[in-house]
Amino acid sequence: MGTEHITQPPSTAAASGGTADRRTTGAAQRFVALLTGRPVSLYAVSVMRAGYGMLYLVFLLREFPHRHEIWGPGSPWTPALAEQLFAQTGWNSILTLSDSPAYFELCYVTALFTSALFMLGWRTRAMSVLFAIVVTSFHARAIFMTDGGDNLILLMAVYLVFTACGRRWSLDARRNRLKTARAGDDPERARRFASPRLRQARSTLTTVVHNCGIFVMAAEVCFLYGSAGLYKVQGASWVGGTALHYVLNLELFQPWPALSHLADDYAVLIAVASYATVLLQVAFPFVLFGRLKYPVLAMLLGMHVGIAVVMGLPLFSGAMIVADAVFLPDRFYTSLAHLCRRATRRTGASRPVSRGPGSGSVPQQGRTGLPGSRQRAASPRT
Amino acid sequence: MALCLATTLTHVVLVFLHVAPPNAVSKRYGPQINAWVYPLFEQNWRLFAPDPDSVNRRILARTARTAPDGATQVSSWVDLTAVDNSAVKHNVFPSHTTQNLLRRAWTSYVDTHGADDRTDSDRAVMMQKYLRNIAADRVAAHDQGATFGFIQLRVLTLPVAAQGAAAGNRPPTPAEERLLPWWKVTPRGN
Repeated sequence: MGTEHITQPPSTAAASGGTADRRTTGAAQRFVALLTGRPVSLYAVSVMRAGYGMLYLVFLLREFPHRHEIWGPGSPWTPALAEQLFAQTGWNSILTLSDSPAYFELCYVTALFTSALFMLGWRTRAMSVLFAIVVTSFHARAIFMTDGGDNLILLMAVYLVFTACGRRWSLDARRNRLKTARAGDDPERARRFASPRLRQARSTLTTVVHNCGIFVMAAEVCFLYGSAGLYKVQGASWVGGTALHYVLNLELFQPWPALSHLADDYAVLIAVASYATVLLQVAFPFVLFGRLKYPVLAMLLGMHVGIAVVMGLPLFSGAMIVADAVFLPDRFYTSLAHLCRRATRRTGASRPVSRGPGSGSVPQQGRTGLPGSRQRAASPRT
Repeated sequence: MALCLATTLTHVVLVFLHVAPPNAVSKRYGPQINAWVYPLFEQNWRLFAPDPDSVNRRILARTARTAPDGATQVSSWVDLTAVDNSAVKHNVFPSHTTQNLLRRAWTSYVDTHGADDRTDSDRAVMMQKYLRNIAADRVAAHDQGATFGFIQLRVLTLPVAAQGAAAGNRPPTPAEERLLPWWKVTPRGN
């Protein structure tokens, strides 16, 4: 997890040298301080917000020509079948509230706007609730058309509701920064709650819920890789190192048959990649607490890019890559932003005035992102 | 805070038990685990595990209609999977309708029906209707404006040849061919 260790209060630091009893109280205090002190991994969770918002937006737009077949009232999974299944499973969806085609188009457009605004971090907490409702509704309506990637997006959309995912690299952060700057010397104007006590309680509550949410998301990703790896160990083809040969020969996951066949011709490559896949997945939960996590995350990134291209599963791979982002610490993202800014400044210096199409290729975070330290100081602490 | 912590830990433990293989704990507390996890947190990460599919399925459909003179006219077979495969080819972002729709409908049908085609549960009836609707839509789209009263599916299972076995573009011989019964195509609404 991207947890930066908080500075220990002097009292807990003093307890570390005492008896076992005092040591446990010290550990407990430190745990409480970590849980309630400040929201951890604010950058990581903002990247996940932007990532899943963007993925869902792209997914909805990609399926625009097929939207009626997947979610509409004319789908082969008819509204009646969907409702019959909901009665059995307890699911629900806003899409089955009416069979009218106009209502469906309204839902679809709402989903587009919700995903876009969630990605940008506009009124993020409210948008996160709407986004979760949209994702569960669309997922449930087409449950027999979903795959692992959709499943992961659904879970993360629900978990993100509990996190403060709009504090960094978002329109909300920008607005708060401007507001505080305008308030200037009179900080009272920027405050919403009259009672400092109430404000404090609210801040602690959001922090605790946020930190718990981050923990659950991290645990979820560990379960995902752990079980994906351990179930593979039981399969003869993974044990024999030939599994990827079969994967490469699935016609529905062969957008570039020449590429698949070319890779398939190298039996040694197939064996090495099969073993590496299993090893990476099984090792994942165990390397997270050391520096080893960086090479492992980099290799997983490579694996997912490979899956996206070779198997034609960009949505699935994207969902996995965004989930991995939860494990990168805030300082990774701040230095990344720093690098981006420096690179843009350098290209900006060579072309002094033009902010033409070149600036469009800069990641979305780069545009709204200002120096992390300034942002942190300026954003409200609630 | 305690409530939040307790919920978090409960959630993580129950999701773990849901994801883990069946064991003494998950058997004993099965109802509680299911009540918590379903439907929202259902998940299955057996991605290509324990083994990836070693077969390609090819689903074909043909239709029948009764002519005005009372004779039955049967169409030729339409290869629905070939349509999906060609839509995937050279596509950087294939649609769920080509990669997942028919594929998952068929696996769900097999899950609820087993080897024969008797529908003996609610879910089996639902999956049969779903598969029939997909096939009817696909055939109608393929032969524009075709009208028919009945539809039949044929599913070929083509095994992927073992590694190193007779390389080249050999057409694999079907190991299994399954012919489904004729289904009546009714107007939508059920």
